[in-house]
Amino acid sequence: MIIRSSKHFIGMFLLLLSALIYSGCNRDAAPDKKTATDGSRQLVVGVSLMNLSSEFIVLINKAMLESAKDMGIKLIITDAQRSAEKQVQQIETFIGQKVDAIILNPCEVEASSPAVDTAIAAGIPIINVNSATKSTPTAFVGSSDEESGRIAMEYIVKRLSGTGNILIMQGYMGQAAQIKRDQGADEVLAKNAGIKVLARQTAEWDRAKAMSLMENWIQTFGSKVNAVYAHNDEMAMGALIALENAKLKDKIVVVGVDAIADAVQAVKAGRLDATVFQDAAGQGRTAVKLAVKIAKKEPFEKETFIPFQLVTKENVDKFAR
Amino acid sequence: MQCPSDKSKSAMLAYVLKQYGIVIALILICTALSFCSPHFLTWPNLITVTRQISLNGILAVGVTFVLLTGGVDLSLGSLVALTGVVAASFAHPGDYPLIIPVMAGILAGMACGAANGVVITRGRVAPFIVTLGMMTIARGLALVISGGKPVSNMSPSMTRLGGDFLGLPIPVLVLCGISAVSWLFLKNVRLGRYIYAVGGNENAARAAGINVNGVKLLAYTICGAMAGLAGVILAARITTGQPNAGLAYELDAIAAAVIGGTSLSGGIGGVGGTLLGALLMGVINNGLDLLNVSSYYQQIVKGIIIVGAVWLDRKHGK
Amino acid sequence: MARNIQKTFAGIHALSDVSLEIRSGDIHALMGENGAGKSTLMNILAGLFQPDSGEIHLRGRPVIIKNPHDAIRKGIAMIHQELMPIPDMTVAENIALGHEPTLGMAGWIDRHAMKQEAERLLGLLGVNISATRTMRELSVAEIQTVEIARALGRNAGLLIMDEPTSAISDREVEALFAVIRTLARSGVAIVYISHKMDEIFRIADTITVLRDGKYVGTHPAVDLDKRKLISLMVGRDLTATILEDRKVHGEPVLEVNRLGKTGLFREISFNLRRGEILGVAGLMGAGRTEVMNALFGLDPADTGDIVVNKKKARIRCPADAMRLGIGMVTEDRKGCGIVPTMTVEHNTTLSALTRCCAGEFIIHKREHAIIDENIQLFGIKTSGRRQEINQLSGGNQQKVVIAKTLLTQPSIVILDEPTRGIDIGAKAEVYAIINRLAREGKAVILVSSELPEILSLTDRILVMRQGSVAAELDPRQTSQEEILKYAMPI
Repeated sequence: MIIRSSKHFIGMFLLLLSALIYSGCNRDAAPDKKTATDGSRQLVVGVSLMNLSSEFIVLINKAMLESAKDMGIKLIITDAQRSAEKQVQQIETFIGQKVDAIILNPCEVEASSPAVDTAIAAGIPIINVNSATKSTPTAFVGSSDEESGRIAMEYIVKRLSGTGNILIMQGYMGQAAQIKRDQGADEVLAKNAGIKVLARQTAEWDRAKAMSLMENWIQTFGSKVNAVYAHNDEMAMGALIALENAKLKDKIVVVGVDAIADAVQAVKAGRLDATVFQDAAGQGRTAVKLAVKIAKKEPFEKETFIPFQLVTKENVDKFAR
Repeated sequence: MQCPSDKSKSAMLAYVLKQYGIVIALILICTALSFCSPHFLTWPNLITVTRQISLNGILAVGVTFVLLTGGVDLSLGSLVALTGVVAASFAHPGDYPLIIPVMAGILAGMACGAANGVVITRGRVAPFIVTLGMMTIARGLALVISGGKPVSNMSPSMTRLGGDFLGLPIPVLVLCGISAVSWLFLKNVRLGRYIYAVGGNENAARAAGINVNGVKLLAYTICGAMAGLAGVILAARITTGQPNAGLAYELDAIAAAVIGGTSLSGGIGGVGGTLLGALLMGVINNGLDLLNVSSYYQQIVKGIIIVGAVWLDRKHGK
Repeated sequence: MARNIQKTFAGIHALSDVSLEIRSGDIHALMGENGAGKSTLMNILAGLFQPDSGEIHLRGRPVIIKNPHDAIRKGIAMIHQELMPIPDMTVAENIALGHEPTLGMAGWIDRHAMKQEAERLLGLLGVNISATRTMRELSVAEIQTVEIARALGRNAGLLIMDEPTSAISDREVEALFAVIRTLARSGVAIVYISHKMDEIFRIADTITVLRDGKYVGTHPAVDLDKRKLISLMVGRDLTATILEDRKVHGEPVLEVNRLGKTGLFREISFNLRRGEILGVAGLMGAGRTEVMNALFGLDPADTGDIVVNKKKARIRCPADAMRLGIGMVTEDRKGCGIVPTMTVEHNTTLSALTRCCAGEFIIHKREHAIIDENIQLFGIKTSGRRQEINQLSGGNQQKVVIAKTLLTQPSIVILDEPTRGIDIGAKAEVYAIINRLAREGKAVILVSSELPEILSLTDRILVMRQGSVAAELDPRQTSQEEILKYAMPI
């Protein structure tokens, strides 16, 4: 059996090998540290992003590429596709490539921590962008997610004048954003006893799932509901469509977080009540600036918080892209 | 045969359970739910349940064709995303008449399904591998076409496809339509019979003069077309083409078919069972939300009910 | 050993009040038509089924055999009609399967001990099979020997063999019999199930006959002869099949010129006329089935021509062959004859479904009419057209396959081992069908390993040897010995 299956092992080995070679080619095996025009060599910064199929991350990525171009440095962008394990591997590759700094957009609080530890151990500065890890990086750029929860919930309290029933649509359970957006909202709820949470349920950041969940909620709670707080705009949009289909939107306030294009459009059209703007471009630009500062051994801020902003019909034009 | 009446009674019971195991499970769960929640057994909620199963139902009917030939299609979820993005790209207000985005989505699904079929039959590669490859290829294509962002700004005529017609949700009407056509096809059309034969014993089918490769290609193409249809409907329902929609939808679809008695090794099963399987899954989902069961427990309960339903079915089916 | 066994399936008596006594060292033949209850009785002994009543005594003590594993522990081993080796494992691994010798607590497999044990067992049986070959490389007879060695390795006191010779050549039968006799001499009791009369009289010491699930009698083999045995089995005298006189043949419908396929057969030439039955004899592996598969397009030939009705034919797949009026009943009924998941009805009409169709749509009424007619015509014993084909006996499955083939209205019918593994009654019916086909003016090719069958049915005999035609003989002027002389490898 073992003798026979060694054939398969060889096959698997070859497959793995070719995959390695392929991915190696893909990822600029050795970044050419060309000398820039001013005589000093060009800085190289490795970037590991959580997930390039999420619109918000795409925006961060766009801002980083633009500012890198302005500053004349080279970025190596990789996509961890939501896998913390992949992320750790990507950081290890950056260390092997001897990059000058690393920008990490962590997938998970705990599981992405080894990435930070290995980079620090290798003496390469690492900057966390957008979300936190358990291990402390060289610097952090982002927004505190509790703040977004706070802003959204304060808006709901104001709209309901302090009394009413609400529903909370949570993000993927266990992720930093879900936990903190809950915490921020809970802080506000603790101070407002008139607001009652009818149900809390996850829709996994997903629009179609949020729509199903809202449909089921409509059956249970019907017109008892006064407001819906969704941890992100995708889910807020799903809830919005379900409510519109059930002709209940007029009576119910819906608030999301992130200010994605679709949501901003909906606020502008008066369909969605509010969303909370998280400055993706600001985070991306600041992260790149910080990386350059640290690499050049200039003084820098350990923590930079880019503030959230509430988006409502009154100020929406500022955010429409 | 000392006590014939006893024997025939237990034989009868076994027969009934084999034939109607899923129906019984469904009735039990529905009865339980209608006692636990006053909202369950109401007309609007039942409409909601059917609306929610329509997508999974369409995909499950599609994948039933493939499962019957003894194959499998893991690319469905990604195809839903891809075809949704394709349809949404043609559905901006004032661009084209409604038929264009709808057909574009369905044709994109058919093309991917046919590509699966061609590689599986001509290249003799295992369906598991081919469709796994298509799963990532289609996902990649969806991201490329959409640029990683949802394709929004959809014309109202398109979004209306996700709404109601004469008080019934259009996705449900579509599911009913394709189920009826598929049922008739499998039962009354020559190629339908051949699908069963190929899944039951490929060699015997070939020896009976059946074009086995052609039949398989047909099954994968039909499955792809259904995925395209589902993609169009999902896009209309959520008013955008989402490149990351439909994650793991293929597993739900396959689960529905298998719960409904379709064999993973081919040759056994059909559309009726698949619909019941999808309905069972939909009812469980809806019920757990109505009862406001915590998300953590929901996953456990769902898993137990799915495995339990199939186990009951197989145990007495022997 | 077994007393008053009863077993009922779905309301039908499979066995009622059957008793059987087997002594150690005895080679005990169990005879009866298909459906007589032989397999059911043996499956009860091997622990696959539980009896509804009755008891089993082993070495004088009553026992309950819970499952196949339990049966093996109690020293009962069964070698099934369809062998179940694991093709990619070696001989030694298959012999040791389920009780591999291990080293230490971790359960590392002791390959050396495993190989030695395999060699010891094969040596005991007096055969020369290397323990390191994979099962895939072995012939059917060799696989059987390995299974016997495996049973021997479990210290089996009772070995049940179900149709062990149904798929092996005469020469291999001799070797197998030698192995069985060796076993019996060492005190193992053997139950031997077969349909082949000649073999029974050559090997068995005692014969027990079952009929319709009932015990008919047990006799020492020397007290019986073929005629007596048949009348015990069938319950009536069965006149031997007659050689029909059909001298008039029509024009040739099939000409095969220098057909060849690398490694399988070469330079095969013959022709076939309307109303003729052409017998093809030869040992297993002589290339008979391969030539037939090439003619039917299952596995097309590399070189040579096939001329059908004076036109050169291109046969790339069975559909091509069927369009040219060729029908075939394949050798491998389970593998490519039946679709096990389908009903009797759907199996029967599968090849000729267009006959039940209007356009692409199946007209169920038309299909029902066709199947009812065929169930009658071929005497298929089934509870109804919607019964699953799996539940039929081998002989009835074969009749369905033949009906399916003939529904395409072929002018050339190829029958590859059509009577393998079916009982005497069904065999006689198949012979009648073959004769009827020839009378109707169809051209028939009959491939068979049973020489009496070939000699009594055919008009001409082609003997194949090692991939080519060794001789063409006239059945009226030849004998089994002469055919074998040509069939033996040089």
